[in-house]
Amino acid sequence: MTNTLLSTHNLKKVYGKRDTVFEALKGIDIEIGAGESVAIIGKSGSGKSTLMHLLALLDKPTEGEIRLNGKNTSKLKKRKLNRLRNKEFGFVFQSFFMNANDSVLNNVILPLKIAGIGRRERKRRAMEALKIVELDDKFKNKAKDLSGGQKQRVCIARAIVNNPKVIFADEPTGNLDSATGDKIEKLLFDLNREKNITLIVVTHDEELAAKCKRQIRIADGTVVSDVKTKKGAKK
Amino acid sequence: MKVLDVIRDANSNLWRNKIRSFLTILAIFIGSFTIIMNSAINAGVNDFMDKQIANMGGDGYLEMMPTEAYESAMSLIGSTGPQEYTEDKDNTNASSYIKDEQVEQAKQIDGIKVFNVLPNSSADYVTSSRTDKRYRINLNLVVEGINFDMSNGVSPNTDENGAFEIAINEDLARALGYEDVSEIVNETVQIAVPSNLKCYTAIKRSECQTIVDVKVTGTQAPGILSMGGSRASLSLWKHINKLNYEGMPAETNRSYQATADVEPDKIEDVKKALEEIGLKAMSVDDEVGMFRTFFDAILIVFNIFGGIALVAASIGIINTLFMSVQERTREIGLDKALGMSNGKVFLSFSAEAIMLGFWGSVIGVAISIIIGTAVSGVAHETFLKDFPTFQLAIFEPLTMLAIVAMIMFIAFLAGTLPARKASKKNPIDALRYE
Repeated sequence: MTNTLLSTHNLKKVYGKRDTVFEALKGIDIEIGAGESVAIIGKSGSGKSTLMHLLALLDKPTEGEIRLNGKNTSKLKKRKLNRLRNKEFGFVFQSFFMNANDSVLNNVILPLKIAGIGRRERKRRAMEALKIVELDDKFKNKAKDLSGGQKQRVCIARAIVNNPKVIFADEPTGNLDSATGDKIEKLLFDLNREKNITLIVVTHDEELAAKCKRQIRIADGTVVSDVKTKKGAKK
Repeated sequence: MKVLDVIRDANSNLWRNKIRSFLTILAIFIGSFTIIMNSAINAGVNDFMDKQIANMGGDGYLEMMPTEAYESAMSLIGSTGPQEYTEDKDNTNASSYIKDEQVEQAKQIDGIKVFNVLPNSSADYVTSSRTDKRYRINLNLVVEGINFDMSNGVSPNTDENGAFEIAINEDLARALGYEDVSEIVNETVQIAVPSNLKCYTAIKRSECQTIVDVKVTGTQAPGILSMGGSRASLSLWKHINKLNYEGMPAETNRSYQATADVEPDKIEDVKKALEEIGLKAMSVDDEVGMFRTFFDAILIVFNIFGGIALVAASIGIINTLFMSVQERTREIGLDKALGMSNGKVFLSFSAEAIMLGFWGSVIGVAISIIIGTAVSGVAHETFLKDFPTFQLAIFEPLTMLAIVAMIMFIAFLAGTLPARKASKKNPIDALRYE
């Protein structure tokens, strides 16, 4: 691994105080290289979501540090963190998180709008992203009128519209039937391969995890195994 | 995120829950409507007052009468309490005339430029060639340097030896057969002037009357101060006085009224000095001021109502936005996850509050203008018929803008509470929220 994108050192996260203290992460040390596809696997309550939130800079660790491109992120100001998330990360969630009453186009545009990009430019880029997920003909439709698979494709378009370095996918196929899920998976791995976008998938689905080149297993807030496989999502 | 996008989104977010937004806007509208109407009527009344003052002319104009006469007039209308009878005081109204020594003293007062004692003049009736009917006429003297509310033509001359002229009251002009009142300008009317001494012994009133031909120089719009009177030129006034007191001893020809032209910045001092020598002086402001005080009191009450309505509307805004924050918890979480700053989240909810205030107040302005114009039209057909220069409601663009801005600011203040709540939401908790 020549090019480390994200790394953690003794990462700890504690929730609650005194009697109700709960140690969600008990010291995680991992390195993720640019262009990798990584599955973070674990049962619910294992701490995998907490790890993803920390990696995605959505939350601050109680202890330890996260380095992005070698830079310690704990010293960054809130503004800078917001900018980083907006420019470098894309998010795909299990339950989509779309503005149901808004159009497909407006949903995809959201990160660009937050970034303050002009109307014409953001429309152009959103249409490009929609073309990649093959939904450019539905840009005017309301998000709520789409099927589950289409919704998740819109979310992927939204995740890639700002040309991110990393996509965080939290159970991306959890709400989809297997055929639709396969399509979404293929889309994500294609993006990983063709655009060299680092893919970090949080899942408890072994099948999906197996398609990643690397599987990090989490249990009780610690890494129990970290395996790199050759086959990954080649096929 | 660009501010323009924030505003645009805030506006479209309002229409997500149409009924809720509409009701909140309605509440703001009620408050703003009350305040806008008040301010428009206030502007209308003040404009009318100002016109009346402008009609009366200079800031330095004083009208005065003996203090005793003023007080007994006031006691008659109940403004002051009963007055005790004393031997050393003139107790009859008729003897409350302006005395020679008062005139001498008044002329010494610093600040008085011109002091005029008005001779008493009264005419019986006026008639014209267009009618057989005769109408009673209430004459006032024209005052130099003062513009009356002339609706047609010009003021009569103030030359002591000038032509006999009057500016006639509009209603009187109509009664005299000039349906189009502008036609009476430059016409000649006949005024009957009695000679008081002859009238004591005359069998028929007409035997003691002299008919004077008078040229009409203009028509006078009715107003608070003219009160249906007509203005006579100085020469006519003096001529009438001469006819009234023909053959009577000089001491009967006494005056009850005087006017003064005063340096405007000394007017209060002059009034005090006149009071000391027994003359009650009223400036134009004093006369109009009584009406102003009355209207101001009413408007304060209505503005309080408007204010209460706005407070209630503000609570509506807070409630609406709290519900909105609650409903959009996940959306806020997503926005924040995608890099929106707390400040922008705060701004977007504040913008929504401001938009509520904007629409409420703009609709308030629009409806106020429509209703104000309509009511004004009806009023001029009915109860304000005699006051054509009185615009019931005046909508000054700057005032309207200021009110809209004020209500938007109030809405913003109301919105800060929910906006703060939204901005403090943790993106992870917000995304987990079901």
